[in-house]
Amino acid sequence: MSTAVVRLQEIARDFFDGKQQRRVLQPITLDLFTQEMALIAGPSGSGKTTLLTIIGLILKPSSGKIFIGEREVSRDSENVKATLRLKKFGFVFQQADLIPGLNVMENILIAAAVQGQRVPSAVKKRAKDILGQFGLQAYAEARPQQLSMGQKQRVALVRALINDPVLLLCDEPTSALDVESSNIVLDSLKKLSADERRGVLMVTHDPRVFPYADRLIKLENGSVVFDSRRDKERGSDEENS
Amino acid sequence: MVVHDRSTTAGAILGVIAIVFLVGQQYSVLFGLFRFMSALVDQSGADIWICSNNTNNINASGTLPVRYTDRIAGLPEVEWVVPIVSSGGAIKLKDGKTQPVQVVGVPRPTLTGGPWRFAKGSIEVLLDYEGLTLDKLDLSNLGNPELGDIIEVSDRRVRLAGITQNVRGFQGTLIFTNLRKAREITKLPPDRASYFLIKAKSGQSISRLVQELKQVLPKAEAIPSAELARNTRLYYVVNTGIGSSFGFSVLVGALVGIVIVTLTLYTAVLNRQKDFAVLRAIGGRRRDILVIVFYQTLFIALAGVFLGFLLLASFLSGVRETNLPTGVILWIPPVHAFFTLIFSFLGALFAMRKAVKIEPASVFR
Repeated sequence: MSTAVVRLQEIARDFFDGKQQRRVLQPITLDLFTQEMALIAGPSGSGKTTLLTIIGLILKPSSGKIFIGEREVSRDSENVKATLRLKKFGFVFQQADLIPGLNVMENILIAAAVQGQRVPSAVKKRAKDILGQFGLQAYAEARPQQLSMGQKQRVALVRALINDPVLLLCDEPTSALDVESSNIVLDSLKKLSADERRGVLMVTHDPRVFPYADRLIKLENGSVVFDSRRDKERGSDEENS
Repeated sequence: MVVHDRSTTAGAILGVIAIVFLVGQQYSVLFGLFRFMSALVDQSGADIWICSNNTNNINASGTLPVRYTDRIAGLPEVEWVVPIVSSGGAIKLKDGKTQPVQVVGVPRPTLTGGPWRFAKGSIEVLLDYEGLTLDKLDLSNLGNPELGDIIEVSDRRVRLAGITQNVRGFQGTLIFTNLRKAREITKLPPDRASYFLIKAKSGQSISRLVQELKQVLPKAEAIPSAELARNTRLYYVVNTGIGSSFGFSVLVGALVGIVIVTLTLYTAVLNRQKDFAVLRAIGGRRRDILVIVFYQTLFIALAGVFLGFLLLASFLSGVRETNLPTGVILWIPPVHAFFTLIFSFLGALFAMRKAVKIEPASVFR
């Protein structure tokens, strides 16, 4: 049974563009669940990435509340939010963004050691295992420059998974990939979203991704104009009544 | 950055090397000059020097009556006392030209106050009435005379009997001979001397002996050797502009290094902005980023200090037997290394400031 891992209550975001305050995200209330591959889609400038970064506790909302589980985290300090990002979320960026000075294994383990912690041998073993699951065990010592874009993105996925997050936040992870690599990454994400302890949230405007989605959230001008889960729930509510 | 941006790392290390080497070679030359300034005093073996009144450096004394010897020797705390002569002269070169020298005459048979290091011969050569020493480093300037050659100094003929090694004064060529010959050369009457060197008996208080000497010799100055050496160095530092000149050079060396370190580290952080943003996004706190830049700076600073001192040591070793005066006081290099680390971190401040200000959200742009 899926459970809500992140809940947004009337989250809004304003930006000051140097001249005036602009509202880029209208108040949004949204729950994100485990066992769900949710997509945020919409045209450029609709607020997709802003919403993703707010959910990921990177950007502070101008108003509203964020809950992880039952705990409100929107007023937590920067350091607490960083630790929550480390423990609760896994990030996959558009360009993979591996650190070029580190090899594949180091790039993965840095996500476990970024706050200066020692990496336990169990985590190292886990990294090897996940690398193996993604067919990358032979590249553990390779530098990112030696990998294809698809391989880099899979390494980024392993990095995102190393701390066993409850929510994977992916920012257009397939936009720089060819069809084959894109399918591999999407298949992997789909499998990961089937885990009852984990959900996947992806920002995209790549139509190839839509068939993989369990839930589609459409944004326009900073507002949610469509949420397949909400509509489904409304539909079943109406049927019940 | 350290591993990946090797050119940046090398550039930053070069900045630290610049701080170590430029500053180090300046102060080692300054200390070398200090050594030359007070060499006569430092190497004399005496505890106290008697100079004419108001003497503020070793090259500025008038003359004193030799009869002071008995008054000084009569004090029970005095182990020995010897008069020496130190005055200007002119050495005649083979081509007929002359060159100024400082003539030092020391008493036979003890030869106290004489040269302390020899390339050829030994101090006993000064027991010969006609004997004189020149320094190895001055030979080429003086027409390369050889042992046994007759040399003319201030119209007096002397014989080159020994060659000293790095026995030089701040004012240039130091030549040593015996007291009698020195008086002849410098036209000093037999009843006059330039200084008296005094050794106190073991366990005697130098300051008390100085007070007693001042009472016994009211028309002369009694100065402890260390104080006279210090006064001499201070006199030259203040009156010749050496202090400000070297101080300025040291400052420029440090500034050049800091600028190089600042620019390279700052550029490195700019180039790696996205990596820092990724680290922040995946859970790194500002202080974690600071720790990364701190350790990178520490690595660069330590590598630079090590290589800089290696270069400095090679330089000092290379110029040891040349005309360039150099010297190092043991406690200076650790202090220098410490301040170089501080300067390196000062240089890294802008980079650190930039690194901690990088927003994790920038990775999504």
